[in-house]
Amino acid sequence: MTRRIAHVGVVFLVLYGLLFFRLEIIQVLNADTLQSHPQNTREITLVFDEPRGFIRTADGEIIAQTVAVSGRQGRLRQYPYGPLYSHVAGFISAENGGSGLERTQNQFLGGEDLGVRLQDNRDLFIDRSRTGQLELSIRHDIQLITRAAMAGQVGAAVVLNPTTGSVLGLWSAPQFDPNHLSSHDLIAVTSDYQALSSDPNQPLLNRAEFQSYDIGSLFTIVTAAAAIEEDLRDFVVPPIERVTSIEGSHAIVHDGGPCGGDLQSLLLADCSPGWATIGTTIGRGKLNDVSQRLGITGTSPVRLEGSPKGALQTGSLNSSASYAAVGEGLKVTPLQVAHLFATIANGGSRMQPHAVSRVLSYDNKVLEEFAPNALRQSLSKETAAELRQLLADNVASGTAQSLSINGTSVGGMVATKLSDKHGWAVTIAPVTLPELVVAVLLEDDSFNDQQIDEANVAAVARRITEAVLRLPSFKVGGS
Amino acid sequence: MARQRVVELTLLLLAAFITVVTVAIAAVDERVALSWRVAPYLFGLMVLWAVTHLALRRWASSSNGLLFPITALLQGLGFAFIVRIDPELADNHFAWSLAATCSFLLALRGLRDLSWLREVRPYVGIAGALLLLVPGAIATGPVRLDSSSTIDLGLISIAPQQLGNLFLITFFAAWLSRYRSRNTAEHLGQVQRLDGDPSRFLPLVGGWLLTSVIIIFHSDMSSAFVTFIIFVSMWWIAAGRIRDLAAFLTAIAGSVAVAASSIAETKSIFAAWIDPWANPELGDASIRSSFALAGGGLTGTGPGGGSADWMSGATDLFAFVPLAEELGFIGGAAILLSYLLLVGVGLRLAIAARTEFDTILATGIAIFFAGQAWASIAAVVRFLPPMGLSLPFVALNGSLLVTCNIALALLLKISEAAPNVSERTQLLPQIALEPQGDQ
Repeated sequence: MTRRIAHVGVVFLVLYGLLFFRLEIIQVLNADTLQSHPQNTREITLVFDEPRGFIRTADGEIIAQTVAVSGRQGRLRQYPYGPLYSHVAGFISAENGGSGLERTQNQFLGGEDLGVRLQDNRDLFIDRSRTGQLELSIRHDIQLITRAAMAGQVGAAVVLNPTTGSVLGLWSAPQFDPNHLSSHDLIAVTSDYQALSSDPNQPLLNRAEFQSYDIGSLFTIVTAAAAIEEDLRDFVVPPIERVTSIEGSHAIVHDGGPCGGDLQSLLLADCSPGWATIGTTIGRGKLNDVSQRLGITGTSPVRLEGSPKGALQTGSLNSSASYAAVGEGLKVTPLQVAHLFATIANGGSRMQPHAVSRVLSYDNKVLEEFAPNALRQSLSKETAAELRQLLADNVASGTAQSLSINGTSVGGMVATKLSDKHGWAVTIAPVTLPELVVAVLLEDDSFNDQQIDEANVAAVARRITEAVLRLPSFKVGGS
Repeated sequence: MARQRVVELTLLLLAAFITVVTVAIAAVDERVALSWRVAPYLFGLMVLWAVTHLALRRWASSSNGLLFPITALLQGLGFAFIVRIDPELADNHFAWSLAATCSFLLALRGLRDLSWLREVRPYVGIAGALLLLVPGAIATGPVRLDSSSTIDLGLISIAPQQLGNLFLITFFAAWLSRYRSRNTAEHLGQVQRLDGDPSRFLPLVGGWLLTSVIIIFHSDMSSAFVTFIIFVSMWWIAAGRIRDLAAFLTAIAGSVAVAASSIAETKSIFAAWIDPWANPELGDASIRSSFALAGGGLTGTGPGGGSADWMSGATDLFAFVPLAEELGFIGGAAILLSYLLLVGVGLRLAIAARTEFDTILATGIAIFFAGQAWASIAAVVRFLPPMGLSLPFVALNGSLLVTCNIALALLLKISEAAPNVSERTQLLPQIALEPQGDQ
């Protein structure tokens, strides 16, 4: 019997040993992965009623702050502009975690970051509550412009400074009021949160950064880049109306009859069968190579600096070169589109998009400055210049004429995906010395006519571009 | 004579020290609303320990001195974390601790001779089966992973399944020891006859039926697991054969497979186990546990620094999470070691026990502690499907605390009755000089 009892003892020793290792995996080996998991709201919930720094725009408007209130908690997080910055600042809540910068920059705002906590040698010995204040690159006036231009529409708009990668405006609609989620009235917060998260329009979703849409014919600019690199500038596609791929289920058709010509005429006429022909000539490998360099496909899609990298939705090119060349089935976020055109505008050099420019101490000393971060030279300067010329021609006499602005030369593209009920418009302005890239995406179930809908989307992008360029204080490129 | 009691007192003081320090550290944290109001409850808990210690000195002075301090430490840590999470629960915890200590004293004093349990085994067996099966049939709520199936009696709610398990342990022990004394091959040297004897399948079929009923009809995987692991261990040490064991495990696996493929509740629990992200309503608790555990890291956030308010069931079913989060992997491993020590001491007592009944009973009780604790922690770390099991001695689960204290009293009685092997072999001259206890 003693031997049998020893068996039982050994079994339990092994069982507890397994538990020991499992615990070690969770708490030690995998801890970092779990800590930075996008669904992990533990950290931010813990600091809910702690002292917390404010967030302000580049032009000095406070968009999130913690104020003293009476009551048990004593502190309340407020968002003076309500829904205007709901997808930029995000929210912080006692039970539902947080989103946006409140979530991703928590270590600075809550003072968890050592640099924020210890601003002075003496701080090593005194545990004072220190917080970091965020200064954004986003400008209040530009944010107001995007809201006005997007009024009532579902979709997203991103305004980028192509030379630094700074985000100047970021809009996603529908939006929500973060004040309702940061309230101390937990019952109301719960019901509000449930209503928001079960809303079919997904107001909690930041479409600009985290929602992917079919890129549509915007992708042809990438095909053009590949064609230029392959030295196919003078390659002339014979007039063609439809391309039927062998394995494809449907043909690539151009509505206005046969089209063809060189790269310029293909882009100006939005000639998808022509691009498909170019794609077959270049081959899928080359297309994939260029789009990976530009950050459109590949393992890590572009996010704002510091955004969670988990739950990646990576797009991949269609397996057939002709479909790939017209962007069939490739999904990208509005931020990725803005980033793509910003790379072209910036002479082929990819700048990491970021919304936070500085972290300040409680007495406005600069604790941390986020310098422009060049990711890589994706295209040669010459290729980028040729692409800009194509885009300028496209606005001057091509399919994107509705983007043109008096007195400024603008480059851009417009595309709609009627089957998915969304449309894109992108501008680079001024195209000769780019200071601004605006990407707009609209979702609209009533989309059914390519020309009218493209004009609608283009109008939004044009309004934003025009208004931003006319801002008296707008000077980014030179300064 | 009182050597074991000296060991016990020393370790108890250590356990009391750790408890007070943990409560004090948690109270310093500004996020914790801990006030002086809990001090009387803390003091009350210590008084209960002192009473238990004195009772052991008087009624079971040569019983093992390690068991009680280990359980006291676990109970003290449980108290520290429960009041740190919600100070309002202090009186609830104290009321149950009082009830548990009373049951302990009753069991210690009332059961003068354990062999009496053997005579009443049919009643104990029936009572155990009823306690185990009836509540599951009555409790008809939706599946919730942050509470066990309980019977609500207004002011208090009780979960008698674990008491049922303890009764069944006693019954199994009595049945198996009788079976052995009649039948075992060791005893009779008649291997041939026994292999053809169908009666050896009786306990297996019984155990399988009982476990299957709980799995399939109550879809209560947790109590099923505890019942199963206790039964297998006891049967193995008393009459186990490797071929029968294989057959039994296959049959149990079959029941689990039937439940997992055809019962909606069990299906959703298994789905939440395999992919908690896709099943947020059942998987949320285990996702949050792993986030909280990861947040604790190697050394923990310190008592009071964790995220227990953000977890559900942090005082009962997920009681291990705040402990391991705030005390870190080191603290969590220490808790695991405490349970391992508890089962180790229990099994050593089983080996040293005076009669076969005592041996089997001690094994059953040791496995009851260790199996319940193991399954509870294993479910929290997603090693097993999420199921409602409380951590013995730690969790705020009054019925379980009472049951565990009765089981502890039985184990101490067994050690009291056992001849003290180590002292007899190592200290022969002392044996000659001083009589062993009052047995």
